[in-house]
Amino acid sequence: MAATEGLALSIRGVSKVFPTPEGGEVRALDDVSLEVADGSFMVLLGPSGCGKTTLLRCIAGLEAPDSGQIDLKGTRIDDVPVWKRRVNTVFQSYALFPHMTVAQNIAFGLQMDKLPKDEVARKVDQSLALVRLSDLGGRRPHQLSGGQQQRVALARALAKEPEVLLLDEPLSALDLKLRRGMQLELKRLQQETHITFILVTHDQDEAMSMGDEVAVFNEGRIVQVGAPRDVYLRPRTSFVADFIGEANLLALIPGAAGAEVAGWGAIPADAWASDSPAADASRSVAAVRPEDVVISADPQGRFPIVDATFIGGDLHAVVQVGEATISARQPAASAAGLTTGGRCELTFRPGSVRIVDA
Amino acid sequence: MKRWKNRRMSGMWLALGMTGILALSACGGETTVGGGGETSSAPASSAAASDAASPEAPAGDFPTPNGGEVNLYNWTDYISPELLDRFESETGITVNLDNFDSNETMLAKLQAGGANYDVIVPSDYMVAQMIELGLLQEVDPAAFPNGQYIKPEFMDVYFDPGRLYSAPYMYGTTGIAYDPTKTGGEITSWTDFFDANSPAAGKIGTLNDQVEVIHAALRAVGAQPCSTNRDDYIKVEELLAGWKPGLAVINSDGVIGRMASGEQIMHMMWNGAFTRAQADNPNLQYVYPAEGITLWSDNFAVPVGAQNVDNAKIFINWMMDPANIGEATNFVGYDNGITGSSEFMTAELGANPAVVIPEEFKALAAPVPGCSVEAIDLYDQVWTNFKK
Amino acid sequence: MARRRTASAPRAGQGSWWAGLPGIAYLIALVLAPLVIIVIFSFLSRAKLGVGVKWEFTIQPYVELFYSESLSGERSFDPTYLQIFFNSVLYSLITALVCLALSIPIALWIATRPPKWRTLLVFLVTIPFWTSLLIRTYAFVIILNDNGPINGALTGLGILAEPLPMLYTPFATIVGLVYSFLPFMILPIYASAERFDFRLAEAAYDLGATKAKVLRRIVLPAVRPGIIAGLILVFIPALGSYLAPELLGGGKTSMIANVIAAQFGASRNWPFGAALSVMVLVLVMVALVIFAVVARRSSRRGANQSLESLL
Repeated sequence: MAATEGLALSIRGVSKVFPTPEGGEVRALDDVSLEVADGSFMVLLGPSGCGKTTLLRCIAGLEAPDSGQIDLKGTRIDDVPVWKRRVNTVFQSYALFPHMTVAQNIAFGLQMDKLPKDEVARKVDQSLALVRLSDLGGRRPHQLSGGQQQRVALARALAKEPEVLLLDEPLSALDLKLRRGMQLELKRLQQETHITFILVTHDQDEAMSMGDEVAVFNEGRIVQVGAPRDVYLRPRTSFVADFIGEANLLALIPGAAGAEVAGWGAIPADAWASDSPAADASRSVAAVRPEDVVISADPQGRFPIVDATFIGGDLHAVVQVGEATISARQPAASAAGLTTGGRCELTFRPGSVRIVDA
Repeated sequence: MKRWKNRRMSGMWLALGMTGILALSACGGETTVGGGGETSSAPASSAAASDAASPEAPAGDFPTPNGGEVNLYNWTDYISPELLDRFESETGITVNLDNFDSNETMLAKLQAGGANYDVIVPSDYMVAQMIELGLLQEVDPAAFPNGQYIKPEFMDVYFDPGRLYSAPYMYGTTGIAYDPTKTGGEITSWTDFFDANSPAAGKIGTLNDQVEVIHAALRAVGAQPCSTNRDDYIKVEELLAGWKPGLAVINSDGVIGRMASGEQIMHMMWNGAFTRAQADNPNLQYVYPAEGITLWSDNFAVPVGAQNVDNAKIFINWMMDPANIGEATNFVGYDNGITGSSEFMTAELGANPAVVIPEEFKALAAPVPGCSVEAIDLYDQVWTNFKK
Repeated sequence: MARRRTASAPRAGQGSWWAGLPGIAYLIALVLAPLVIIVIFSFLSRAKLGVGVKWEFTIQPYVELFYSESLSGERSFDPTYLQIFFNSVLYSLITALVCLALSIPIALWIATRPPKWRTLLVFLVTIPFWTSLLIRTYAFVIILNDNGPINGALTGLGILAEPLPMLYTPFATIVGLVYSFLPFMILPIYASAERFDFRLAEAAYDLGATKAKVLRRIVLPAVRPGIIAGLILVFIPALGSYLAPELLGGGKTSMIANVIAAQFGASRNWPFGAALSVMVLVLVMVALVIFAVVARRSSRRGANQSLESLL
């Protein structure tokens, strides 16, 4: 069990299949393994329906995995009933109890632990202060704004001082401005409380800005885990490359001088990222970020500009290369002469092209 | 009050509200019986009816049938539909039948006004009270062509001496039915019936009829029905209180089934119901209790305000024909007050001591006039306390 | 919460008070008028021979409720009718509580089925209404009697040597009442439970609540409006029950309706029957006020003790 040292949560080979109403089945989780360091902020990122919420519910105990094992602080919990797990959840709908006041909502979980009354009262006050709602303990949930409800839900879960706090798309119901504020708030809370947070989101910006680590989900599998910057810079699959930020996925064909982009030519050696795996017949897709694509106006250039649009201070251009198109983005200052219908030459910045799994 | 009403609805007041459609169809709703009717039978019927009406006595000014209708307000299930069909085809008069479940219901409906009945069927004491209230027409049934058939003992009855207002229909008794093979002893009296240590305890039933039960209890303590002596009622209350633990059921419905199946082995019972239970369970015996037994009788009468008085007279006269009322007896299982009708009764019925009162018990069976309001209040007080 | 409506623009369905006239006329003719007649009758004297009323004012019927001339001739306080009222309240209360205990699991179970099953199950709950109460009550005479299917099975399987007497007991009365009124409890509780957000139950589990705690502290408070409606819909009509005590109880223990029926029948005391009816009205109103007060107080106090205090 040495491997679990410093781990809040260890998930090994968890699978879960749901029947569909039509009589088929959906593999929501397919042999998922994940380790979450103690005190870290893990973000599960993926498009909707990818299984990330199912994993969260398996950790919470609201779903039972078909197979696999989940350990919390080195102790197996997948066979422990939900109410005995030292894990709490902030639900997407908040799920505040409408017939209780804010303070009663927060006290509920503490009463379930049979804490003495004054202890409950103290922790309720503490939690309300933590989310800066000390004045609203007597209100009913329906008397609060969305952001306030969100914070009550947080306070209610945090008051239990769980080993792991699970947050299921907690910010999706908030408008953009509130969302930014709450992102910072969540980060602050996590740092103050040193509780391990696992947050589910489909918003890559949210994932990038909040997570110590990001686990990217696709179709019931975790396709890549790592620090946000690492995942962004070194996507391992075309899905990750495209889902996190934007990416041009280049179909490679073998050529005399190594891998070639059809209609463009062989990728020069310095364009490859230094740690990119080598291209081979089975790995025939490369990813390159639009900002790493450099185009220059050239009436005799090989490539027609399909579209050129200024967005903010940047030029977003789409260039026809052979059968495919490549997106490019560069500062307006260096975009002279690039117009829709014009022609251009196109190169990749050094160290920017990376082989990914299809 | 009596009859074989296993389908009877007691206390329709509340039941009506609660049971909706069924209650309505059971207690109310005029039913046209037969319905062949007026077109087919008008010419033929006058001949037939005059046959029936005046074989011996000259008709005098007695009306002759001339179509139309007669509205009959009768106890539930108390006349054979085939008999009414025959009346319609013989006279050309259409019968509209409506039913009631207690004398009080019938009286309330007539008193409220608006009811449109030509012939009603009140029990003995009710006839007396309706005459007193001026609700009956003096049609003098004794002078009808078939009035000659009224049995002598049914002629000068206490409730209508000389039969100026009413004509006899069925009569019967309210006695005790029991199964001697199960009670282990003979039951001969109301004292036996109300015995707190009766061997039948736990399997005793009684009618849900405060008048009959308290009549019987008064007899058992040596008093007379309708007593106004409070001391009698103190004794009755004691008697009933001691008896209640062994009493299984107070219910006028389903008595026949319960006695036939042996679910109860002793029950206060109407004699007509008894004959039907006995047909299924030959062990059953009917008791004429030694202290006396209520002899009740039901009667045809014409209420004040009747629209078809002539047809009412024709109907009542027709029903007093021995052949016709004999057929009615065979349907309901009670004997009637018309001379010569026994010739038309089935042999079993005629030979059944529960139906035709044997000579030795005739003295025990006497009609009980209606109690005074004072006595009714005492009955109510004792009964309510008994059932609380 | 809602902003105040600006006063001018007429809205659909508003202001056309005359559209309510047929309903108002119906209520006056068929609800109010009979009540008024009953109240008036309760202050009149008995007619000659007791059938009907005589137009002479008296409060005698109300005196009779509490005082009677005892058989030994003394005029004294008489608890007979109070006891019958007490019986009625007791039977109705037991009926309501048994219905409640049965209905909560049934209603919650239905509410947690997939939607198309729910429709079918609710439909099944209403099937008894297709047949008259009288017929259904008679069916219980057959089911419960000594030779009926239950006793037949118990003795046939050798579990009992003798049939267990069930018919014509208070037990049979309660069985009949519970059976008659169960749908009136299930349906309103189901209506509340169906709106219940079961994610709240998940949240409670997540916060460490066991199943029992979730039921008591989260689910029951949420369906409380249904519970209160159900209690009213069962308790109040049960007070006026006539058939079950008569047919299943064997007529040995009267409920108030049986006594009232007798006053208009064999006992020939219409004013007293009317006075008893008025007392039932008063009792029902008192019960409604108690329900209302308890309901309001418990909702003000919040979830903590709501249900415990209500029950």
